[in-house]
Amino acid sequence: MRLAFILGEIGSGLRRNITMVVSVILVTFVSLTFVGAAGMLQLQINQMKGYWYDKVQVAIFLCSDGSTAAGCATGPVTPEQQDNLQTLLESPAVAQYVNDFQYESKDEAYKHFKDQFSNSPIVDSVTPDQLPSSFRINMKDPEKYQIISETFSSQPGVETVIDQRQLLERLFSAMNAASLVAVSIAGVMIVCAILLIATTIRLSAFSRRRETGIMRLVGASKIVIQLPFILEGVIAAVIGAALASGTLWAVAHFFLGEYLSKQYPDTAFISPGQTLILAPALLILGGSLAGISSLLTLRRYLKV
Amino acid sequence: MIRFENVTKVYDQTARPALDDVSLEIDRGEFAFLVGASGSGKSTFLRLVLKEDRASSGAVYVAGQNVAKISSWRVPRLRRGIGVVFQDFRLLPQKSVFANVAFAMQVIGKSRSVIRDTVPEVLKTVGLEGKENRLPHELSGGEQQRVAIARAVVNRPGILLADEPTGNLDPTTSMGIMGVLDKINQNGTTVVMATHDDDIVNEMRKRVVELKNGIVIRDEARALYTSMIPVVGQSRRLRDASGRDEAQPPAPGEPNPDSGEEQR
Repeated sequence: MRLAFILGEIGSGLRRNITMVVSVILVTFVSLTFVGAAGMLQLQINQMKGYWYDKVQVAIFLCSDGSTAAGCATGPVTPEQQDNLQTLLESPAVAQYVNDFQYESKDEAYKHFKDQFSNSPIVDSVTPDQLPSSFRINMKDPEKYQIISETFSSQPGVETVIDQRQLLERLFSAMNAASLVAVSIAGVMIVCAILLIATTIRLSAFSRRRETGIMRLVGASKIVIQLPFILEGVIAAVIGAALASGTLWAVAHFFLGEYLSKQYPDTAFISPGQTLILAPALLILGGSLAGISSLLTLRRYLKV
Repeated sequence: MIRFENVTKVYDQTARPALDDVSLEIDRGEFAFLVGASGSGKSTFLRLVLKEDRASSGAVYVAGQNVAKISSWRVPRLRRGIGVVFQDFRLLPQKSVFANVAFAMQVIGKSRSVIRDTVPEVLKTVGLEGKENRLPHELSGGEQQRVAIARAVVNRPGILLADEPTGNLDPTTSMGIMGVLDKINQNGTTVVMATHDDDIVNEMRKRVVELKNGIVIRDEARALYTSMIPVVGQSRRLRDASGRDEAQPPAPGEPNPDSGEEQR
């Protein structure tokens, strides 16, 4: 009986206040979408880290025609220089950091290049001669890159030592910055949402002050009086959160899944299912924000 | 049922107290009129009983409990034992007569079947049988007040507080309302009624407690609206209080304590 009564009160409150309720839904929707976007970027970063960090290598590029680095003063790498480098890689001082390494010849480099850029017209203008040969090293601990770099940079026949991880780090820090921006926008929007929810609940309490006054007089408990108002805010915010979750899923499904993953088939994008991990968090966040702000408002404007 | 022990209520430190050292006892089943000019402390008295306000000093006992010691989450239970009726009825305009009365039961969690049984019974007590489905604006003032009374007593409170319940009604209708209140009192409910209506008080011949400037100046059984006893028993303290009052006109915003009589 009491439950049915409270539900009825909520229904009438939502109907009476429909414009405000719609605006609460929209504001929470937008703010939680930004929160979710930040979350998605983080998921994407983790996904790419997991995918790439297994694959990234330290590459020692060897001198080729036209190399201008200090180690290349003698022109393209000679077979002796190459052997020396290989011996150095196998020496115990270096080998303890290295899982394994391969030599990639100019022809192999050309083949990989062709595979990687198969969609791009650049393939036609590149010849094997233009691509340097290299040693590809899989590190035991990718953090120890500095040791390899110091050991090999000054060796004759070495053009440059590149840690592919550092190229990725640059991408990740850009994505981190983007998610920070999303979080700050979300912060402003959430403040907006809290204030709007407070105003809505205040209006709702005001328009029903007759009822609440009578409820108080006949001895209705605090919960029965306040719960309809609090749930009103919570329901509106949860609808907003559900819309936000749906939007994130749609972005993951249509934009990442159908569009971006076709453009960049090598990149590991998050799946739409993964964004659903964010949904409960958004629902809880939206609901609790609304609950807390309505509770605080009622404490001020609804005497019990 | 209601006991005031040296109760003082001060709203504003600079003005005189709304109630000044009031000691009073109203027994179970009694019918008492609370009379006095506007601003004499009648409403404050009722608010203290309901724990809408806290006494500045002294103790208020309702049904044997010191209301100051009731924790805030138990206040609803206190209020369930007290019905309240107002001058302006305070009905919910969009709810029918039945729904208005049922509302008081719904909000404290009474079951649907209990409501279905109790409400018609109470409506019959107040003389509204057959009007369950009317809306408040379709009723006369007297009928609306009967609905309000039905709502106040539907949960069978031990005490009924009525704050000028006949203030908006004509004399004949008022007498009808008094009949209803009397009937409720006969059933064992303690009734405390604040009023300005001298005809009613004179007609009913019940206990009369007269307040002036927050002080009880008369407490007579089976009395009239105005005292028949010449003012000789007035205490020194009261004379002092009135003297102070003359020297210091009422603060702005506060109704003139003497104007209530003339307005009637």
